[in-house]
Amino acid sequence: MKPLNLIVLLLFLGGAVWALTRSDRSVREIQNAYYQAMAPFLKSGSQLETHARAFVGEVRHSKELETELEATREQLGRLRLFESRFRALEHENVQLRHALDFKKTTHFDVVAAQVIRRNPATWWQTVDIDAGSKRGIASQLTVLSNNGLVGMIDRIDSSGERASVLLLTDEKCQVSARVEGSPEVGILSGQRGGFEGDPMLRLRFLSPEAALRPGQRVFTTGRGGTFQANILLGTIDTVEKGALDSEALVRPSVNFADLGAVFVVLSADS
Amino acid sequence: MIRYSLLTLLLLLTAFVVQQFLPAFTGIHHSRILLVQLVFLCCAVTVGQRTMLLLAFIGGFFWDAQCALGPQGGDLEISAQQVESLRFGYSILLFGAMGFLMQGIQPLFKQGKWQFSALLSGIAVLLYLAAEYAIINFVRGDFVLSRATVFQMVFTALLTMLFSPLIFWLLFRLAKACDHSINPEAGRRRRRAT
Repeated sequence: MKPLNLIVLLLFLGGAVWALTRSDRSVREIQNAYYQAMAPFLKSGSQLETHARAFVGEVRHSKELETELEATREQLGRLRLFESRFRALEHENVQLRHALDFKKTTHFDVVAAQVIRRNPATWWQTVDIDAGSKRGIASQLTVLSNNGLVGMIDRIDSSGERASVLLLTDEKCQVSARVEGSPEVGILSGQRGGFEGDPMLRLRFLSPEAALRPGQRVFTTGRGGTFQANILLGTIDTVEKGALDSEALVRPSVNFADLGAVFVVLSADS
Repeated sequence: MIRYSLLTLLLLLTAFVVQQFLPAFTGIHHSRILLVQLVFLCCAVTVGQRTMLLLAFIGGFFWDAQCALGPQGGDLEISAQQVESLRFGYSILLFGAMGFLMQGIQPLFKQGKWQFSALLSGIAVLLYLAAEYAIINFVRGDFVLSRATVFQMVFTALLTMLFSPLIFWLLFRLAKACDHSINPEAGRRRRRAT
């Protein structure tokens, strides 16, 4: 090997070691600089993706849309019935609270956002949304859809108009979870590339004698300080019992392949 | 030569931009075209070792800047069980290793047999993904390899490889524009024949 090549190789290895020893804070600074430089391209890229999605939506067969409309009408009628019942219950609740002099403390503030882009990486599960610090979004906030927990905010774009969401299906997003109708509590997370087809979640550290059955719902416990309590995560699919602990596979309640509108929880009672 | 090296660097940076516009093919096991890796691999076979290492550093560094995830928040109850994640910068070493692999068949490329390099670029992408997946599993401490993951890696490598002739064509054009030959032996043979 030529001496100059050897020097360059040593410099390369030195550079790699320097990069590998960066702290989380330095990595975030590097990432911010990178995404700041890429911002104009990301914006046009996400616009393209949004247009493509809208186009695909438009060309769906009209018959399919007709059926969907019929189903929606039916559902609307049902929901109207529920709403009238809900209003009656709410009214009754207000009256009872008033009667008990119960101070209302519930607070739940959310920001609606659209998923505009998926991260072009093979293993990592993140999406970008069109809301950032300008709308009050900060790192580590909970992201929901109308079906349950989507994930949490990972990175805020320096423009203040976008943020990156770490999905529940990534193994870095860990949630303290409980199984409905049982005393079982564990830690739920995804697994990169670990499942056939649909993404599944792993609920670990359950007791060895966990008596769980498929279909039982899994909710957040609210422990850990990141996610609020009682957010739906999914349903039990299978349970594997071990000598020291049990593990369950959980089917997520959210369809991660078709994420559209999401809600970022700015503040809420846990 | 210097002009050509600078152009390969610009091409790699452009690949990062174009990569943002390439979605995953959900119908083909969520596979995608890894343009950044492909451009790097094709460039690696046409340049010297020093330029290849520079490209590997820049490629790996920016790739990790794009993909790295932040530390998990929350209290210690959850953080105590936190999954170890890949360190920022590991891609630099992977890019370097793949670059050396591509340089192994540089003599064939210099003879004008770019088809072997195109084929090897697909194999290198597959190895890159397999190595990345193996590191993820190693860090996790639990090896799981599903059929879907294998298909995802294979189809990603195949899809990426399909675009390698296009990148080589682009590199030949760039080399011509810089008045630089990336396969000198083939050029000499052609001149001798005429």
